[in-house]
Amino acid sequence: MASQLALKSRIASTGSLEKIFNAQEMIAASHIAQAREVALNAKPYTDAIFDAVQTLVSHSHIAHPIVRKEGDNPRVAVLALTADRGMAGAYTSSIIRETEDLLNRLEGAGKEPELFVYGRRGVSYYKYRNRPMAQTWEGDTEKPGVEVADAISRALLEAYMKSAEKGGVSELYIVYTEFINMVVQKVRVLRMLPVEIIKPEETATSGPDTQSTQNVMPLYSFEPSLDEVLDAVLPRYVRSRIHECLLEAAASEVACRQNAMHTATENARDLINDLTRKLNASRQASITQELTEIIGSADALNKKEE
Amino acid sequence: MAGTTMDVNIVSAEHPIWSGTAKAVLVPAYAGGLGILPGHEPVLSVIQEGPLVVTEPDGRKHSFEVTDGFISFDSNKLTVVVEQGRSMQNIPIDETGIQ
Repeated sequence: MASQLALKSRIASTGSLEKIFNAQEMIAASHIAQAREVALNAKPYTDAIFDAVQTLVSHSHIAHPIVRKEGDNPRVAVLALTADRGMAGAYTSSIIRETEDLLNRLEGAGKEPELFVYGRRGVSYYKYRNRPMAQTWEGDTEKPGVEVADAISRALLEAYMKSAEKGGVSELYIVYTEFINMVVQKVRVLRMLPVEIIKPEETATSGPDTQSTQNVMPLYSFEPSLDEVLDAVLPRYVRSRIHECLLEAAASEVACRQNAMHTATENARDLINDLTRKLNASRQASITQELTEIIGSADALNKKEE
Repeated sequence: MAGTTMDVNIVSAEHPIWSGTAKAVLVPAYAGGLGILPGHEPVLSVIQEGPLVVTEPDGRKHSFEVTDGFISFDSNKLTVVVEQGRSMQNIPIDETGIQ
C-alpha cells in the first residue's frame, strides 16, 4: 500500500516538473524569434561598418595599432562567453572546456593569458576554483544589448591599447558558441585582435569588361583626416564584431536551452508512463490479493456450515 | 550626372533608423554642418553629436538627432552610421532613444 502512495506522489512531482520543462521550452522557442530579430536589426550597422573598413583598407596601408602591434608582449586576453542561467544542456560546460584548452595551449606557447568572462555561470565556475579573472560581466546573456557589447569592447580595447609595461595585452581571443542551426551549435575560438582585415581580391581581370569597372572603388576623401577616420571606424568595427559574437552566442544559448528542455520534457513523460505502469501493476496485485483472501475465507465459512 | 536624388541609409547600432531617397542631407560633421547633395565626391567623414536633416525630393524634411559616428558617400549612396539616433517628430521616451 505504501508503495502505491509513494508511486502516486512521484508521478505528481514528475508531472509538475514536466510542466516546468515544457514551459521553459516554450519560453526558449519564443526567445529564438527575438534573438533573430535583434540580429537582423543589428545587421545593417555591421554591414555599413564592414563596407567602411573595406574602403579604408583599399585606400591605405593601415598602420593603426588595432591592426598591428609592435613588440612581443606575452600577455594575451581570453574572453569566454557563457550563460547566465543553467538548464541549457552542455552550453556553458563546453565553453569552459574549450576555454581551458585554449588557456593551456597559450600557456604552453609561453604566453600569459588573462581571463575575461561574460555570464554568471562561467563567473561562478571560475570563482569557485579561485582562478583570477581580469574582469567579468553578468546579465542579459540571452539578449545582449549594445550597452553590454560597448562595456566589453571598451574594457578589452583599453587593455589592448595599453602598453606592455602598464599591463596591456597583445592579443585577444574570444571563445563563443557559433549558431549553425537550431540543432547544431559549435564552440569556436576567434582571434579578435589584432584585427585581420582581408583585402578584397585584386581584380586580375583580362580586358576591360564592364563588371570590373563597376567594382573599382571610387577615390575617397577623408574628413578630417585618414587617421581620425581610422580612430573612429576601427574601434566601432571591433565593437560590432564583439556584438555579433554576443548575439550569436545568445542565439546558441537559447537554442541549446530549447533542445535541453525538449529532451527533459520527453524524459519526464517517459518516466511518468513508467511509473503509471508500475502503479497499475501494484494496484492490480493488491486487488488480486484481497480477492484471494475474501474467496478463501468465504470458502472456509461455507465448509463449516456444511 | 548623378541625377537629382540619392539613396540615404541611416543605421544605428541597434536598428536601422531611416532609409529612402533624398535631394539633400545636412549632417553634423566634425567642424559644423556638412551639406551633401546628390553627386557629391566620395567621402568618409567623422560626424559628431547633433541634428541631421534629410530633405526628400518633394521637399518634406525629416530631422534626426544622432550621436557620434561617421558617414560614407559613394555611388550616389549615403550611409550614416551612428551609435544611437532618433527621429525628432515622434520623440519616444524609451530605450531606443537617446537618454
